[in-house]
Amino acid sequence: MLIYVNDKEINLNENLTIAQLIDSLNLNIKSTAAAVNKEIVPKAKYAEFILKDKDRLDLVTIAPGG
Amino acid sequence: MAIIPNNHLTTNFEDKLKIGKYSFKSRLIVGTGKYPDFITMQKAIELSGAEIITVAIRRIDFEQKENMLSFIDQDKYTLLPNTAGCFTAEDAISTIRLSRELAIFKTDLVKLEVIGDPKTLYPDNEELLKAAKVLVNEGFTVMPYIIDDPIVAKKLEDIGCPVVMPLASPIGSGLGIRNPYNLKIIKETVSIPVIVDAGVGTASDAAKTMELGVDGILMNTAIAGATDPLNMALAMNYAVKAGRLAFLSGRIPMKLYASASSQMEGIVF
Repeated sequence: MLIYVNDKEINLNENLTIAQLIDSLNLNIKSTAAAVNKEIVPKAKYAEFILKDKDRLDLVTIAPGG
Repeated sequence: MAIIPNNHLTTNFEDKLKIGKYSFKSRLIVGTGKYPDFITMQKAIELSGAEIITVAIRRIDFEQKENMLSFIDQDKYTLLPNTAGCFTAEDAISTIRLSRELAIFKTDLVKLEVIGDPKTLYPDNEELLKAAKVLVNEGFTVMPYIIDDPIVAKKLEDIGCPVVMPLASPIGSGLGIRNPYNLKIIKETVSIPVIVDAGVGTASDAAKTMELGVDGILMNTAIAGATDPLNMALAMNYAVKAGRLAFLSGRIPMKLYASASSQMEGIVF
């Protein structure tokens, strides 16, 4: 199964939830927000939201800015 | 090496910046962009004396080795997410909504900017007003970045923004205050605080801005882009305080001719 994370292709052998994917990327779930196919996913749903083939996942956090 | 600032201005001096239900001792808000590294950013923020710091919301860069958050004391600072880079109301609203899913922001304060042109980074008033309306209705404390236009400022106040943030000159330009009269008119037009956002180049700009009677300044490039960002952060810390105190103290009127400081009585020769 192929998904896109921040436009980068990632091949997954199994179905993962957003929470599991964030964990597998060694990211801190607290400081990460997610949108799937440009739809914002509430944090409470990360543990149950299963990513599908060709999903485009955006993972965001804070960055330097004025 | 920078000197640690003394925060005592005068005794019993209580002069807080109020933004909606929040209040702050510092009238200087600083950005986190354009620093050569996170350590410099961290130290500059500390020396600026700012309590609110702005951050952008961006896709995670998987190549980035250092985590910006580990350089920010989240108990000490109020992080203010911005909508920098958004050109439509829809994008700005989505960015703010997405920022809510980060367990980072402890307040509902948001800096709203909707850009109309990449060269000047001037805001698109129509889109800005649209976005402000939606976000205020969703309960956010919206701090809008605006052109120095009293009419837009009034409209945003009427929508429910508890502050307006007019530019002094274009973002990152360092041109200082292009139109001090408009800033004064804005201050007289609205009854909410006015924070000058963008354009300050050096400490005298900051002091002069505060002397106009505005309530605060938001800056980034003037500090981060200085040859010595740490000492410039300290200079801005002092300048904002000096300008504020001078404003509150009431400057003398300007006169064409001299007025002797030494008394005339008792002159010997």
